[in-house]
Amino acid sequence: MTPAATANRPGRRTATVVVLWLAALAAAFVVVVRVRYVADLSAFLPSAPTPEQAVLLDQLKSGASTRLVLLGIEGGTAGERADASRALAASMRSLGSFDTVDNGDRAAFASAGRVVYANRYLLSPAIDAAHFSEAGLRQAIGETLSLLGTPAGALVKPILFEDPTGETIRLVDSLTPAQAPRSEGGVWVSRTAPRAVLVASTRADGSDLDGQQRALEALRAAFARVAPAHLHLEVSGPGTFGVAARERIKSEVERLAIAGTVLMVAFLLVAFGSLRALGIALLPVVTGVVAGIAAVSLGFGQVHGMTLGFGTTLIGEAVDYAIYYLIQARPDDGDEASGSPGAERWLAASWPTVRLGLFTSLIGFAALVFSGFPGLAQLGVFSIAGLAAAAATTRFVLPRLAPRGAPGRGLRRWLALTMRRSTAALAHARPAFAAIAVLAAGSLVVLPSPWRGSLAALSPIGADALRLDATLRADVGAPDAGTLIAVSAADEAGALQGAEAVGTRLDRLVGAGVLAGYDSPARFLPSTATQAARRAALPDAPILRTRLAAATADGPLHADRLEPFVAAVEAARTAPLLTRAALRGTSLAGPLDALLLAGHGGKPWRALINVQAAAGAAIDPARLRAATADVAGAHVVAIKPELDALYAGYLRDASWQAALGGAAVLALLAWRLRNARRVVRVALPVAAAATIVIAVLAASGAALGILHLVGILLTVAIGSNYALFFDHLHEHGAADDDTLASLLLANLTTVTAFGLLATSSIPVLQAIGIVVAPGALLGLVLSAALIGTPDRPGEHGRIDIRR
Amino acid sequence: MPQRPPPPRPDRRAAAGVLAAGLLLGPAWPAARAAAVSFGLAELTTLLARRTSGEARFTESRSVRLLDQTLVSNGRLSYRAPDTFVRETLKPWPERLAVTGNVLTLTRGERSRTMQLDASPEAAVIVEAIRGTLSGNRASLERLFEATVSGDAGHWTLDLVPRDLRLRGQVASVRVSGSGSAVAQVQVQLADGDRSVMTIEPAGSAPR
Repeated sequence: MTPAATANRPGRRTATVVVLWLAALAAAFVVVVRVRYVADLSAFLPSAPTPEQAVLLDQLKSGASTRLVLLGIEGGTAGERADASRALAASMRSLGSFDTVDNGDRAAFASAGRVVYANRYLLSPAIDAAHFSEAGLRQAIGETLSLLGTPAGALVKPILFEDPTGETIRLVDSLTPAQAPRSEGGVWVSRTAPRAVLVASTRADGSDLDGQQRALEALRAAFARVAPAHLHLEVSGPGTFGVAARERIKSEVERLAIAGTVLMVAFLLVAFGSLRALGIALLPVVTGVVAGIAAVSLGFGQVHGMTLGFGTTLIGEAVDYAIYYLIQARPDDGDEASGSPGAERWLAASWPTVRLGLFTSLIGFAALVFSGFPGLAQLGVFSIAGLAAAAATTRFVLPRLAPRGAPGRGLRRWLALTMRRSTAALAHARPAFAAIAVLAAGSLVVLPSPWRGSLAALSPIGADALRLDATLRADVGAPDAGTLIAVSAADEAGALQGAEAVGTRLDRLVGAGVLAGYDSPARFLPSTATQAARRAALPDAPILRTRLAAATADGPLHADRLEPFVAAVEAARTAPLLTRAALRGTSLAGPLDALLLAGHGGKPWRALINVQAAAGAAIDPARLRAATADVAGAHVVAIKPELDALYAGYLRDASWQAALGGAAVLALLAWRLRNARRVVRVALPVAAAATIVIAVLAASGAALGILHLVGILLTVAIGSNYALFFDHLHEHGAADDDTLASLLLANLTTVTAFGLLATSSIPVLQAIGIVVAPGALLGLVLSAALIGTPDRPGEHGRIDIRR
Repeated sequence: MPQRPPPPRPDRRAAAGVLAAGLLLGPAWPAARAAAVSFGLAELTTLLARRTSGEARFTESRSVRLLDQTLVSNGRLSYRAPDTFVRETLKPWPERLAVTGNVLTLTRGERSRTMQLDASPEAAVIVEAIRGTLSGNRASLERLFEATVSGDAGHWTLDLVPRDLRLRGQVASVRVSGSGSAVAQVQVQLADGDRSVMTIEPAGSAPR
């Protein structure tokens, strides 16, 4: 669009442009009102490349461990806490929101005992032909009898004549974890504090935060109903974290949006002292935000709460375009003489510079889109769409609505004076700044690498909540980051057979004292092959009677009292094999579902085997790998190292992307400036700003991660705008008051927006803010210091890249 | 368990000699005799705490209402201060129960299973009754039981009734008796009427 064209029939063209803009805005707004907002932190987990990491991420996002709820009851006396524990457990079981509730009460354990008892000849690992030989029976019965007359006898006695070989107690034993909580007054209690503890798992998946929230609210209501008021309930677990994180993100986003808006309005009033100018300046901002949300919604199907929080920085950047335009488009003496509005001159003289700055920013945000984190990709798409829309609004709509820029001077003269004086002072301090930059670069070589951030650092969960979680986990013996073995197979039978094969190998390690034990889905549901083999090993009634008579001949328990046993074995010989469907609704279904994951949509079936280290020992994943190497589809996943490796891999990838982004910015500058000396002059202050920020963070001992890297990239993208500006000044002459004021204002809005992020309690936002806020400020200061103003006064009063 | 280190300082060879003398020496111990006038839990646990290790053989007979005969088993016991206790059954079926601190390991044939003792209070009651007595751990005994001492240092009886009413519904009482610092018998009375009597003798033939 040339100035001549825009001058033709301005009224009709204005109407067309404004109508088009309003139509686009309305369309985007329709998308925005239908947006689904999420706050699921898994968006900030990378997508996974290796089988081990796939298992891991599945577990992190929706595994049984994400449904875990840890409860602690404190206050009152031990008796009151035990009563409250029983009452709460009973109440929770009737809620329907929880699959399992365990408080250590044996009475509740009876239901699992019944299922095990009914299916003991299919489930018991002891069943084989030798077990039912005369010698096998003699030994098995002898071992069972050795429990009588001890407290454990209470479990054996009621079923002694039906189960004299002790299969039920063997199974109950094997299902009891080695790391059980302390039991007092019939319920689980903490070993370290006066606290009753419970473990539950929600019916809702860990990623279903609404379901988690409902379950937690129901749980608290139930506690308030059944427990005396002086007892209080502590709740922890991934679901609690997810719900708390969502609440925090929500309130944080509101805080950032309100603070961001208030500050921007304040800046605009300072700059213009005019409400009309304020209204016009907010148009690109509103357009940008609406376009950003709509683009993310269309691209991802949902908008993450964090994206909105980050969106406040867009307010800070989008408002810059409005400031540049409204200030710089004010008619000067030449415009007044020719009778043309300032808009035409701005479009010809200043827009190309603004556009080049826009492009470098877009390149910076494009790096986010390819970062491998769906959450960061959202931030990238949001910012690209938002900035492009804001710039387009400034370019096409503002010249129509305010062809003469904005009235009102506000405090601009003062701002310009400040800027002019500072620039002069900074230019004198050039050697000092150069020295600081060199020092920073040197310290980065000397200091240990600060790039040691971890995934855990992305979590917005506070230290107090993490401490409570660790305490409760220690109380109930639930390890948070252990080792598991995943067996992938094409179907359920394959997964279970694989789990059995792994189990056989782990049994040796348990026998050798290397492991305390393990949980396998094959314990709850053996493969059909194993079940059929066990069933086939059961002798018929006449043979069993003969062997029993011989085996019990001189013992304290006579064969003729064991007819119920003979009948039970005879019935088991023709009983159907146990299936997953048959276990549904029983207390074994929950643990089985947690360990046996159905395949779907190309994902294999998966059996998970949790491994517990022997007391005082650590698990050696290499040893487990060696032991299970011959089981097809088995992967040993050591959760903590695997997570760290995963994150390190993404940090590496992100470093490459950042380097590419930086190279792209340089290439763009080279292409536009076509002058190596000017490219270096623009690149130097930006590189120095980034280096100083990293060096200061490194020296302060901060652990830097992917988000800091993203921050660096944004610093480069934003800082290059200032460097470009001073480069133009250097080439084409001095700037007038309004231009200097607009530059300072633009910088203040950016620094303020990212400074707000730096105060956020959400680590993802805080990490970006803490890098970009000082980085952007340094970008301006260093551009002024290192590039400076031209020695001779220019013939143009304003920046101008026309040659 | 009869081994008693000679005061003032334990010495391995001397310990072996005392071990052989076993029970006979206990009543003759002057300190024990002097304390006979007022012999309570404090005196008993002080006496028992002087011993830091020991080995013994046991014979246990259990009468179970459901069965026609008494169940008899035998094996070895060993104790080492402060908190290691091992009961190894040799007949009729080999089985080994070892407790150190809060960790209980049960070994049967090739299968070995580890548990937290305090996760299973009914097992803890039996273990603590014996281990707490052997180590003279008064605090532990008083925390878990209402303890009553009768007799004197030469021949004492310690009656232990679980404080927790739920536990008392399983283990009605434990009676430990002995002479000097040697435990001679442990009787466990279960709430359902079953009872066991464990008689302890010095491991005379093969002391270590």
